[in-house]
Amino acid sequence: MSTRRRLAGLLAVLALFVSGLALASCGGGESESASSMTETTTTSETTTTTETTPPPPPGPTEIRIVVVNGAPKGGIVREKVEKNDRVVLVVRSDVTDHIHLHGYDIMRDVAPGKPARLPFKATIPGRFEVELEDRGVQIADITVQP
Amino acid sequence: MTLIAHGIGVVRDLPIPAVYFFVGAAVVLGVSFVLLFYLWRRPLLEAHADGRALPRALTSVVLSRAVRILLGALSAGLLVLTLATALFGTTVELLNFAPTFVYVIFWLGIPLLSILFGNVWSVLSPWRAIADAAVWLLELGGREARPVLEWSGRMGRYPAALALFAFVALELAHPRPAYPRTLGIAVALYTYWALAGMAVYGRDPWTRFGEGFAVAFSLLARIAPFAVRNGSIVVRWPFTGLAGAERTPGTLLFVAVFLGSTSFDGFSRTSTWQDLLADLRAELAGSSQRTIDLATTFLNVGGMAFFVAAILATYLAAVAAAEKLGRVGRSLVPDFVLPLVPIAAAYLMAHYFTLFLIQGQFIITLISDPFGKGWDLFGTIDFAPNLAIVSPETTWYVQVAALVVGHVAGLAIAHDRAVAVFEGRRHALEAQLPMLGLMVLYTLGGMWLLTRG
Repeated sequence: MSTRRRLAGLLAVLALFVSGLALASCGGGESESASSMTETTTTSETTTTTETTPPPPPGPTEIRIVVVNGAPKGGIVREKVEKNDRVVLVVRSDVTDHIHLHGYDIMRDVAPGKPARLPFKATIPGRFEVELEDRGVQIADITVQP
Repeated sequence: MTLIAHGIGVVRDLPIPAVYFFVGAAVVLGVSFVLLFYLWRRPLLEAHADGRALPRALTSVVLSRAVRILLGALSAGLLVLTLATALFGTTVELLNFAPTFVYVIFWLGIPLLSILFGNVWSVLSPWRAIADAAVWLLELGGREARPVLEWSGRMGRYPAALALFAFVALELAHPRPAYPRTLGIAVALYTYWALAGMAVYGRDPWTRFGEGFAVAFSLLARIAPFAVRNGSIVVRWPFTGLAGAERTPGTLLFVAVFLGSTSFDGFSRTSTWQDLLADLRAELAGSSQRTIDLATTFLNVGGMAFFVAAILATYLAAVAAAEKLGRVGRSLVPDFVLPLVPIAAAYLMAHYFTLFLIQGQFIITLISDPFGKGWDLFGTIDFAPNLAIVSPETTWYVQVAALVVGHVAGLAIAHDRAVAVFEGRRHALEAQLPMLGLMVLYTLGGMWLLTRG
């Protein structure tokens, strides 16, 4: 057998296993077409949502974060929400800073006695950091499930 | 912006679900053992490394002086733009051209081009282009451009490994790696490192052994189906450029820095490491920002060094076991370095492919307003990046597939080397088991990191 045919054989075996993997993993995620096509929402759309929007029933998921001494109380807050959920981040802080939700790119002022409210619709799946922007300190980690 | 990890980015990947991990792991183990018995009994990759020459006309265009000068000028221009925007543009990371260009377009785009098309960095390097222009000007003035010192070869690739470590330390350990001024100083320092090295040791030796990016990209380019041999472009089987032993000292350390830093990046995004950093910050709550930053950097560099050391230690242990089982009576350390290159490429692909596709889109708006001053040079300022361009399922599939393909390629290259080293020995098959175990460890380790949230 020529070396070229051996190499071709090797590539064939490789292709077989990779396609097997493809089949196996496609079985695991049927919602693929739904999540990949529908969302092209831009960040600017999200930022224009104001906090006065009356929450339609059922109300938005509220995620509360308390900042003490420039650090999240009880460690980084980790929350999971489902795609297309309506979510409001409420941050109370004893320091003045900006609260930044990455990816959705929403920024709100926060100060002692003036909690920040960041409402958004969870249209983009992934993991997103919430930061005290000026201090560069992560306070929460929001996972949007596909 | 981003507290730690991968320099810049707005969306992080969701951890891969357990089912992908188990399917991937089963495929890795199954393929490994099937291939071990099925694969060739005599080394054959090296025989194919030369490839077949492409038509003369194509070669003379692609490798022409005009293309070289054009790309060199473009690249030098981009270096100047990067330096200028980093040092004088807005300090908002995501509105400045430099961070996205350096960490995404350059550091993720050039590896991709190298894997697909070969050593493109030899014509794209701005430092090489500047050095070439300097030599040309010197010779035009009737003077001979000669290096100050002879490259002895004793230093091997250690200078390049040091340069790469410095870059990944900035990217992964610094508290604000994308802060434009910091990045600007880093780019200036690296430019000095590259140009001074070429002036002292000559352009070719420094490109091959001292300029970290050139070494990284040329190693990745050995995967590519294209190469330049004797002045002409050849097409060859992918991965055949990685056959044989790699005897240049320091190559193992270089590859270990490459693999170790990428895996540390994966680990540093897990809640385990982030909580550790948060605890450290809470502990130092009363101290100055400088102290907190210094402590964070220290912890991150330590974590990264640990991953590099772990790669080195496992590699050396596997080689020692192979030497013992195969009874070769010489060091096999240089023989199995190159099989790690496809694994490094797979790590890179698995960890950064979504970052490249998502964050990379921002360059379209940034090029219109590189300094963040509200310009619209090319009319692209309103382009809205699609942050949901790849679904999480696609990402998981690509990640697992990249690691499996990298694993199989590394395995085949290691096997090819093993049959050459252990040829005619009684224990040839057993002697391959330690290397097989090492590859399985790296691949499953990489995959496991991706399952961590």
